[in-house]
Amino acid sequence: MLSLRMLLMGAVLGLWGVVAVAAGPAAAADEPSAPPLDEGYEVNGDSVWDPIEPVNRGFFWVNDKLYFYFLKPVARGYRAAVPEPGRVAVRNVFRNLDAPVRIVNNALQGKVVGTLDELAIFLSNSIFGLGGIIDLHADSGKPSPEDFGQTLGYYGVPAGPYLVLPIIGSRNLRDGAGQAVDRLVDPIPSPYYLKMSQLEIAAITTGEQINHLSLDKDSYEAVLRDSLDPYVTIRDAYMQNRAAKVAK
Amino acid sequence: MRRVLISVLTLVLALLLLSPAVAAPSPKDDIRKTVDQLLVILRDPQLKGTPRREKLSTVIRARFDFATMSQYTLGKYWKSASAEEQKQFIKLFSDLLEESYIGRIEAYSDETVHYGAERIEGERAEVATSVHTGNVEVPINYRLIRTGDGWYVYDVIVEEVSLIKNYRSSYGEIIRKEGFPRLLERMAEKIRDLRNGKAKPAGGG
Repeated sequence: MLSLRMLLMGAVLGLWGVVAVAAGPAAAADEPSAPPLDEGYEVNGDSVWDPIEPVNRGFFWVNDKLYFYFLKPVARGYRAAVPEPGRVAVRNVFRNLDAPVRIVNNALQGKVVGTLDELAIFLSNSIFGLGGIIDLHADSGKPSPEDFGQTLGYYGVPAGPYLVLPIIGSRNLRDGAGQAVDRLVDPIPSPYYLKMSQLEIAAITTGEQINHLSLDKDSYEAVLRDSLDPYVTIRDAYMQNRAAKVAK
Repeated sequence: MRRVLISVLTLVLALLLLSPAVAAPSPKDDIRKTVDQLLVILRDPQLKGTPRREKLSTVIRARFDFATMSQYTLGKYWKSASAEEQKQFIKLFSDLLEESYIGRIEAYSDETVHYGAERIEGERAEVATSVHTGNVEVPINYRLIRTGDGWYVYDVIVEEVSLIKNYRSSYGEIIRKEGFPRLLERMAEKIRDLRNGKAKPAGGG
C-alpha cells in the first residue's frame, strides 16, 4: 500500500518535472554576466600555483603509464564487446546517480532555476527514463553541472595549489577537498545510504572511468601529440576549466 | 504593362544583387561560412592527402588572424622579441596551429555543428557553437576581431579552455626556462614530427 502511494507520488512529481523542464528556459537566469571578450589577452595572467611541481610531474608520469597500460587497453576491449548505445546508457545511469550532488550544490549557491531544473531532470529521467538509462533531456539545454568545489569557489575560496593525484589525476586543493565532501552525497561512495565497501566503490568508480574512456575520441593522445609540454598544457586546461565553471 | 513588369524585375534583381553588400556579414555568418567549407572538404571522398590539406589550409588561413593570435600567445614576451623573431614566431605558430587543428578535425568528418548565441562587443565578438559527434557534444566558441571587411578568429575556446591562453602557459614556461630561440627550435621540431606523422605520445603509446 505504502509502495503504491510512493509510486503515485513519484509519478506526479515526475510529471511536474517534465512540465517544469519544458517550461523552464534553462538556467540562464542564474548565470552572472560573462567577462569582457578582450580580458586577459594583453597581459600575462597570474601563473598557476604549483609548489610541488616535481612531485606532480612524477604522478603525471605514473598516471600516463596507468592510462596506456591499463585503462586504455581495458576500455578498448570493453568498447569492442559492448555496442555504443549500451555504453551511452551506462554513462546516463552514472550521470543520473550524480544528480543529488548537482541539486545540493545548485541550492547551496542559491541558484533557484538550476536547482529546480536538476531536480526535474533527475525525477523525470529516474521515473520515465527507466532509472536514468534513457536521458529524456539529452537535447535540451541543461544547467551547468555544479559541485562542492564550485560552491566553495562561489563563496570566495581560492583554487589553492595544483595537485596531480595518483590514479585520480588533476585537482586543485579546493576542488579535491570539495569532491571529498560531494562523496557524502553521491549515492555510490556515500557512507549513508548504499553503504558499499571501499573495494566495491573503487570497482564501480573504475568501471565508470573505463566506460567514459570507451566513449572518448583519444583526447589525451591528441594533447600528447600536439603539445610541447603536455604536463603544462593539461594543468592550464584544468585550471581554466575549473575557473570558468566557478564563474558560471 | 510589359515595360512595368521589366522595370519591376530589374528593380528586384538590383535589390538582390545589392543586398549582400548592404548587410555586412555578422561574425556568425563568417564562422558558419568557414566551418561549412571545411566540412565540405572533409566529406569529399575524392579528396585525400596533400591536396585536401592544402584546401583545408586555404580556408583556415582566410579566417584566422594568426598575427593577433601570436601576439596574444607571447603576451609580455612579444614586445621583447625582435621584429625578425616575431615574424618567425608567427610563421611557426600558424603552421603548428594548422597542423594540430587539421589533425583534430580530420577525425571528425561525421560531425554536425550547431550554432548558438553571438555576442558582439565593439570590434570583438564571440560565436558559440557546439559540435556533435555521435554521443558527445563539445562546446566550441570562436572569438573574433573585426578588421575592415570581416571578422577574423583570434581565439578558440573549447570546453571553457582558451586555446591561446593554454599555449601561452606552456610557451611562457619554455621561454623562461630555455629561452626564446629554443622555443622556436622546439616548435619547428614539432611541426616536422606532425607532418611526418611521427609525433607519438611521449608516454607509453
